[in-house]
Amino acid sequence: MPYVVVVDDEEPVRTALQRLLRAAGLEADGYASGKEFLAAPRRPDCVVVDLHMPLLNGQAMLRQIRKVNTGLPVVIITAHDTPETRSECSAAGAAAYLCKPLDERLLLNAISVALSKSLRH
Amino acid sequence: MPRAHALRWTPFDARAALPALMVAVGYYLAARLGFALTLQPTPVSTLWPPNALLMAALLLSAPRHWWILIVAALPAHLLAQIQSGVPTAMVLGWFVSNCSEALLGAGLVRYFVREPLRLDNLRSAGLFLILGALAAPLGSSFLDAGLVKLIAWGEGGYWELVRMRFFSNVLAAITIVPLVVTWATVRPQELIAAGPKRYAEVAAVLAGVLATSFIVFDTAGIDATYAPALYYAPLPFLLWAAVRLGAAGTASSLALMVVLAISGAVQGLGPFAGASPHDTARDMQLFLISVSVPLLLLAVVLEERTRSEREAREQRMQLAHLSRVAMLGDMSGGLAHELKQPLTAILSNAQAAQQFVANKSIGDAELQEILRDIVTADQRASQIISRLGALFKHGEPQVQRLDVNELVREVLTLAHGDLATRGIECTTKLALGPLPIDGDRVQLQQVMLNLILNASEAMGAVNPELRRLSIRTTSTAHYVHVSFADRGPGFAAAAHDKLFEPFYTTKPQGLGLGLSISRTIVTAHRGRLWGSSRPGVGATFFISLPSASDLGPLSGRAAG
Repeated sequence: MPYVVVVDDEEPVRTALQRLLRAAGLEADGYASGKEFLAAPRRPDCVVVDLHMPLLNGQAMLRQIRKVNTGLPVVIITAHDTPETRSECSAAGAAAYLCKPLDERLLLNAISVALSKSLRH
Repeated sequence: MPRAHALRWTPFDARAALPALMVAVGYYLAARLGFALTLQPTPVSTLWPPNALLMAALLLSAPRHWWILIVAALPAHLLAQIQSGVPTAMVLGWFVSNCSEALLGAGLVRYFVREPLRLDNLRSAGLFLILGALAAPLGSSFLDAGLVKLIAWGEGGYWELVRMRFFSNVLAAITIVPLVVTWATVRPQELIAAGPKRYAEVAAVLAGVLATSFIVFDTAGIDATYAPALYYAPLPFLLWAAVRLGAAGTASSLALMVVLAISGAVQGLGPFAGASPHDTARDMQLFLISVSVPLLLLAVVLEERTRSEREAREQRMQLAHLSRVAMLGDMSGGLAHELKQPLTAILSNAQAAQQFVANKSIGDAELQEILRDIVTADQRASQIISRLGALFKHGEPQVQRLDVNELVREVLTLAHGDLATRGIECTTKLALGPLPIDGDRVQLQQVMLNLILNASEAMGAVNPELRRLSIRTTSTAHYVHVSFADRGPGFAAAAHDKLFEPFYTTKPQGLGLGLSISRTIVTAHRGRLWGSSRPGVGATFFISLPSASDLGPLSGRAAG
């Protein structure tokens, strides 16, 4: 069963997304910050990251992840979408860029595509 | 100029009938009053109201309609004079001199004031006194005395007649014109809005003027030779009227005193009686004129100042509202971010629950938990929207008992989105227990939001890992303190005072009014707003507000 991690400083959002992923048959965990995630012992198969978090935002986290694990798919989610952040995340290697409130099908589809690409590599 | 206060109609318009009728009736009654206030046995008119009443009507009307009012006054004049036994030529001559005073006064005042007279500022009041109450009576007195000598009616030399007519007409102009003009320009909604306390105050002032004037001027046994201060017994009430009741109240009080003083003298009572009619009239007129003029001017000046202060206050409130709306506009991205979080929680929870129920893979307890989280998220979104709505509203400030810690929490729910989009970590260190103050919730939230946004923007160029905002609340014996500390570039000590000046800004956009308005709001709450900084390290802004227990009884009066 694929293991997906949600990183979002908003606890209600983090909890809801974990439930959604578990309902879709995925194993899910959540972390409140990029720092907590990077210190976690278990590596996920995919990570869903909120773009706007204090201290270490989603983009910075993406760059940190690429340094240690170039193949880990990262799905960026955000409640404050701008063309600049969209293109920056794409250039930084995000597997997908989704806007809140999240459409269930778009999220699960993005994770599914990211996981299959990751498996092929 | 409010249309209701200028009698505007076209000639031969049916609506012209009512104003003309009012002038005719008023002129007749004024003439009867003038006869009643004539000293005997040698008829000496102390106060001749018809000229002044006609002048007041002309001042309230458009010049193109003056001829209608003059024509309307003629039959009233004839009717009033018909029983007096005066020759027809003299009656008509007096009408000419009466109208000349009204026309001259109204014409001169209208020329310089440029609009219908309202006596609501020092300039118009001064021009009326000089032109309408002094120059016009002087001019018509020469004409009046000349006609009397020409028709050979009455006694006395020419200059004596000029003097008698002059003072009589001046006193009438000062007494009648302000009374009519101020009441004609009172707005009905002001009368409706005045509560029982106001009416009680008016009644008390008028009762005081009535009582003191009656005692001094209308009772026997008052000898002003031994107690000249008695002349001024009504003065405290007249001053009260000037300070508290405006020009209309003062004019009414003065008119009451004038009528009582003259009626007493007519009956041989009061401090002015006992001398010859000419001397009585002269002394009384000089006294009443010298009391009325400064009091009227004082009332006008004070009313003008009160009105200016009220207008300035309304403009400050309007500016604060516009600044608040602009600030919320700047925060729109952050606010949208803040609302999308609970919406995301609601949607994802609901979709998860749907999937769990479809798979029959959820117990009641977990389903309850999901539903509870949906409700909580919805309430959070509602709270943000209602707090936002309150900030957008424009209305009178409402002073109420507030908890500063609660204010900080409320403001952070609105500012959180903006802080999140800028990657700023916000930490709070709130004092234990409530920190009560008395103030307007919306205004104080505006101040705090402004400080948070300023801090947020100041840290725009700072390394994301160092973007921190610290908010702290404390209290001392009599004050509650809130501080907002950022890690931005700070500011030089020499620039501190400039920060709070209107239109001073270091940002590329914005009007630079935020801190200026914030300081005005805090000062209106009897508090202080100031900043301190270490350039390159950061800036801290402090708000100090009096604790609620030190402000006395909670007042509903608006702050600011």
